[in-house]
Parts: sequence; structure tokens; C-alpha cells
Amino acid sequence: MVATPEVGPPGVGHPEAEFQTQDLLLNVGPQHPSTHGVFRMVLQVDGEVVRDVIPYIGYLHRGAEKLCETMDYRQGIGFMDRTEYLAAFNAELSYVMAVEKLAEIEVPERAQWIRMILCEMNRLSSHFMFMGAFGIDVGVFATPFIYAWKEREQLIDLFEEVSGDRMMYAYFRPGGLAWDVPANFKQRVREVLESTKVGIKDFDGLLTTNEIFRARTQGVGYISAEDAIDWGMSGPSIRASGVNIDVRKDEPYMFYDQIDFNVPTRTEGDVYARYACRMDEMWESVRIIEQCLEKMPDYGPIMPEKMPRMLRTPPGEVYLRTEAPRGEYGIYLVSEGGNRPYRLKVRSACLSNLQALKDMSVGHYMADAIIVLGSIDIVLSEVDR
Amino acid sequence: MTNENTEAAAPEELDLSGTIWAEVDRVLSGVTARPEPGALDLIVHIPPDEVIMGLRRLKTDEALDFNYLRSLTAVDLEEDGMDVVYHLFSTNTKQNLTVKTRLDNDNLAVDTATTVWRAANWLERETAEMFGIRFNGHPDPRTLLMPEDMTDTFPLRKAHPLAEIEILQGEGMGYPEEGE
Amino acid sequence: MAVTPDTETGATGAVATTDAPDIPSSPPVVEPDLEPVQPNIPVVPGEHPNEAPRLTPVELVPGKALYKQALPGVMQVPLDLVLAASRKSSLWPMTFGLACCAIEMIGTYMAHYDLDRFGIVPWPSPRQSDVMIVAGTVTKKMAPAVKLLYEQMPNPKWVISMGACATNGGPYTRYDRVLQGVDKIIPVDVYVPGCPPRPEALIDSFIALQEIIMEERKTTGA
Repeated sequence: MVATPEVGPPGVGHPEAEFQTQDLLLNVGPQHPSTHGVFRMVLQVDGEVVRDVIPYIGYLHRGAEKLCETMDYRQGIGFMDRTEYLAAFNAELSYVMAVEKLAEIEVPERAQWIRMILCEMNRLSSHFMFMGAFGIDVGVFATPFIYAWKEREQLIDLFEEVSGDRMMYAYFRPGGLAWDVPANFKQRVREVLESTKVGIKDFDGLLTTNEIFRARTQGVGYISAEDAIDWGMSGPSIRASGVNIDVRKDEPYMFYDQIDFNVPTRTEGDVYARYACRMDEMWESVRIIEQCLEKMPDYGPIMPEKMPRMLRTPPGEVYLRTEAPRGEYGIYLVSEGGNRPYRLKVRSACLSNLQALKDMSVGHYMADAIIVLGSIDIVLSEVDR
Repeated sequence: MTNENTEAAAPEELDLSGTIWAEVDRVLSGVTARPEPGALDLIVHIPPDEVIMGLRRLKTDEALDFNYLRSLTAVDLEEDGMDVVYHLFSTNTKQNLTVKTRLDNDNLAVDTATTVWRAANWLERETAEMFGIRFNGHPDPRTLLMPEDMTDTFPLRKAHPLAEIEILQGEGMGYPEEGE
Repeated sequence: MAVTPDTETGATGAVATTDAPDIPSSPPVVEPDLEPVQPNIPVVPGEHPNEAPRLTPVELVPGKALYKQALPGVMQVPLDLVLAASRKSSLWPMTFGLACCAIEMIGTYMAHYDLDRFGIVPWPSPRQSDVMIVAGTVTKKMAPAVKLLYEQMPNPKWVISMGACATNGGPYTRYDRVLQGVDKIIPVDVYVPGCPPRPEALIDSFIALQEIIMEERKTTGA
């Protein structure tokens, strides 16, 4: 119990510092409308100003890493879906690419283009969900959320046509894809992109230039570039602080080196910059998908010729990282020669991003701490695995 | 088990031409380091009492500049001990490196890496509670993902079993039987 | 008065022969009387013919319900039917999304698969909600919080266990930090299978819950 009778240095908006006050320990969560899942943080507040943030995680620790050690490589794909349920294609991609790297399987070209398109569309749907949930945190209660879900339903309909499921696709396989896409795939993607562009423009008009939104989010939750690198942050959260790291550009995988796209970076490092980075990333994803549609071959194999029924990997290890919507999603796979992983570690972007929460929210008001948490865009099942 | 190249006794026999081993060797002079080519990155093995010194040198060196700790985890190798694995990245030169250290089963302790990168904080807490490794000097050695009252078992060790699927709903819960 | 056309002249002259109506020269005089008499209620012109019987005194037949004879426009329903119908038509779930099923639950609330048309409004506070949708895996670390939230809800309350994880642990059932089903700690009314269940499945579960509420009204009382 922290009960400091003497007052610390005056915080933000604390006019009379000679008051003898006592800090309050305020528990936020694990059931809370704004915690994006089961996350608990204890805020030590002095009036309304946050002095300390103590996060507690682990309420959704389900042991995906341990359970994957008992599963065949193809059975583990379902667990990777559920680890990052809003960006399931990206999670599956890391996993199957790690297995392919160890087993030295060559993926056919058409399968890689389809994977790229689906992963970028998943980035779009994940960022839409961020916009919706972030709008709730800021206070624009339902309108962005309903807009977001209208766009997400279009994207999810397309994913359901391709893979059969709305959220847990289990569509990528080591070597390629489970089955071929429907015949009207390109046309459907173009239709969905048209309506998505309208949706992004709606969000832009709703939030980006909104005076109240800007007043709430600019100048809040600043983190410098050196601190962000030291904490190991990744994704739009670190690109908003000026550090230009993106796995798609630094270590290009699939065909990202043949696609012309920018990586949006900002220098302000505050909550508005993180939001704006994601908004710009959505436009970039649309550009990437359009270029992929041009370059994708219409016919071709989606799995290599000779795929063994029992997929065995030689002994070895690999740490393979891809750029998920939230940051760098890495899979560290250790194999001892069987058809199961010996050790599977999921390097989650949200866990590393969440470590910096305290640095970003101390000194701000309580309501700002909620926005800072929302701007990191955590998915608890990735934090807890 | 990891890739123990038993035929590679000396570094010259391994094919390290495309890797950064030359520079890493220069930075880690004085530290016992043994390289190994991995699937994507170079892997360097360092003994546990020298690993933090090696990591600090890798971070502060200007040419290599490994200022980003990507991931920190452990692998349980049953009789051979446990490996603690660090994945490093440099945001300026975009190089990668994997550092591994082998701990014995009767001395599962290593110094903390939070003095080098702050990112190691939660990663070490999680590794400690999953494997039972002690990180000496960690500023906040609480459990991260486990409930507070379940700290005596370590789930990710190979010896830890999976749970049995429990009985069907209703059986043995005190409901009246059908016949009564 | 009669207007008779003048056949000689051929014009209908308005022959103003006003026959004055039979109006008494002075209003009727009521002799003041010391004994109370029935007031002389004049018949109002334009009275609806059916209105008169309503104003007549009712003759009560013993054995029939009083209000059915005196107020014939009233409908009688059992109280438990009214309460059950009103409870099932405005179920307010507590927003308790734990994991991936929460995303499908949110999708069911949104405009595409609208749940608001059933009267179902998500409500963050447990003190004012009726239903708890346990959407996602319950771990042993989270179980005390689930139990506390269930006990904070006032009666009548129901629980929908959404998804495979809340039913019996789901794909994670063999990990020993996962509670194998939420019905180990709280009583569940409806189980929804699926991983995650489609929004239509969740709507189906609400309809099933509504049927349960209507059926159990006889046993639970008002």
C-alpha cells in the first residue's frame, strides 16, 4: 500500500503544491470497457494525474507455445490464428514461413502473391478495428466503431469466400495454400478495395481533422526514439517516433522488394502520430494490393509438386519475423527432426509495445492513460499467448 | 535439440563467409565465443558468466550497434541443460545476431540483461516463470503470466505434463441420477 | 313554413310566413323543494345510441369477476407472463469479452447482424445487466474475477457460454492454467458451440434463452 504523506513535485495542472495529499491506487480492469480485453492496470493517481502505472497481464495465458509442441506442424496453424485473432493471416504467415525455411520448401509464385494480398487485406481489417476501438477510447462512442465494422464485414466476407471462416482462417500451409482461391478472386478484391477506399476516406473525414480529437490526442503519450528502441517497440508505435524500421523493407520476404510502397513515419511520437501512421498505412496497403493484383499470375500451382504427407523438418532453428499490423511478429522455431516443433516461441509485438506504457502515461491525466493504452493497439491474446 | 555441429571443431571449417562473424569476433575478443551458421542469422555461443559482458560490448560497439533486443527466450534441452537465447537487431545497420548461452540443470542462473536493454524486463520475467531460470539482479522478479499462487511449477519444461481432459459435464457433480 | 310556387306569376317567391317554434316564453321553473329529487337530465341532441347503456348502472352478477363486468375493455394476463415477456425482450448483456469470441460478439452487436432489434443492448456495468456472455477462454488467473462479476449481477440473471473455450476449455483444454469450462464456477444456461461461433449462432442462442425464460416462468415465480 503506497501512502505517501508528503507530496511529490507538482504534476500537470496541480496549482497548489503545498497541499498534503495522498495518492490513490485505482484499479482499471480486468473487466473494463476500454481495456481491449482482459488487461489490468493499477494507476497510482494524485488527483487526476497519473504517477505510476503497474500493468498486470496473464489473464489470457492459454499456453499456445506448450500445446504446439505436441501438435503436428499443420495442426499448429490453428493456434497461430488464435494468438493474433485480428490479423490471423499475418500470424499464420510467420509460422508457415518458419517451417518452410527449416524444411527448405520452395513456395510457388502464385501462392506468394495470394499470400501477400491476403496479408495486406488483413492489415486493412485490423487497422479498421483499431480505428473503431480507438474512437471509443477517445470518446466518440459508437460512430467510428460502426463504420469500422461495416468495412470489416466486407473484408471478412471476402475472407470467408476464400478460406471458409470469418476469423480463424487456417488457410496457409507450409508450402503454399490449402486450396486455390475462387475464380473471381481478382474481381472480388477490386470490388472490396473500392468500398474500402470509401471507408478509409470516411474515417479520415471523421477523425483526422476533428478538432476535439486532435485536442485530445496531440501532445499526449510521447515517447522518444531512443526510449522506443530500448524498450523494443515495433510497428506503427515506433514509426510514429521517427524510427524507420519495417521488416518488409529491412528484410524483404515474399515479393515486397518488387512492390513500390512507402513506410509512413512521423516524428512527433504522440498518440496522434500513431493514429496517423496507421491511417497512412491503410492507404499504402491499398496501393500494395493494387500492385499485387497487376502482377499476380492468373494460373499456376499453389503447392509444390512433391509435398510429403508427413512433413518433417531437419534439426535446426530459425527466428523468422514478419511485419504484422501491430509490429514485428516473430516465430522462433527449434526443431529436432520430427514433425513437431521442439520449441516454438512467439515473439509478440504487443508485449514489447506494452512495456513502454509506463513511460508514456506517467504525468498525464487518467483519461489520457486510457488513450495511450488504446493507441498501442494491443491484442491480449498476443500479449499473453 | 539444437544444431550441434559436431564436425565443426574450429571456426575456419564452417562456412561463415556471408555472415558478420569477422566483426563480431573483433568485438567479442576476450570473450569465449563460438559461432555457428543458422538458417537466417549467425548464432554465437557464449558461456553464461560472460554473456552479459558480451552483449554489452555488442550494443556499445559503433560498427555493429546492436541497440534492439528482439526476443529473449529459453529452450529446455532436458539432460543437456537449458539454452537462453537472445535475438539482437541493429536499427541502423539492419544486421541480425543470435546469442545463445547454455545453463546447467543444477545452476539455472544467469545475470540479467536489463542493464543492457530495458526490453529484457518482461521477457526475462516470462522466461523465469516458464522455465525456472533465475536472472540475477532483475529489478522486478514477479510473475508475469502466471497466477500468483501457481509459481511452483514451470509449464514450459519438458517434464511438465499436459492436463487431462476432465470428466463430462454433470458426471460426479452431485446431480441426481436419471433413475432416481 | 311552406314556400309554394306562385303558379300565376311563375316565380317562387319566398313567402315569409314564419311559424314561430313552440318555445316557452320563460325557462321551465323548478319549484324549490326541500326533498332531494332526481335532477331532470335533458336528452342532449346527437347522442350516440350505444353510449346510453354504459351510463346505466351495472347490475352485478355474483360469481363473475368484478372488473370484467364493470370494465369490459380490460384484458387479464398472468403476472408471470408479463414479467417473463418483458425480461426476455430487453436482455442487457454485460460486455465481457475475454478473447477471440469477443470479436464475433462485437460483430453481432454491430449494424450487420444487429442485436439491438431484439432489445439487447451491451452494458459495461454488471450491476445493471441481465445476461453475462462469457466469450472466450477463462484462465485460472481470471476465474476469481469471473465469479465476482457473476455475483455482482442482480437477479434475475442468466449466463451464455459462448464458444468452445467457455464450454469445456476448447482447443486449450489440455493446458493446466486454463479452466476447463466456465460452468465449473458459475451456472450456465445456454452453450453456444463454435470456435468462434458465427453471429447467427449467437442470435440463435439469444432466442433459445428467450424461450427458456418463457418456459421457466412457471417454476421461478414472478
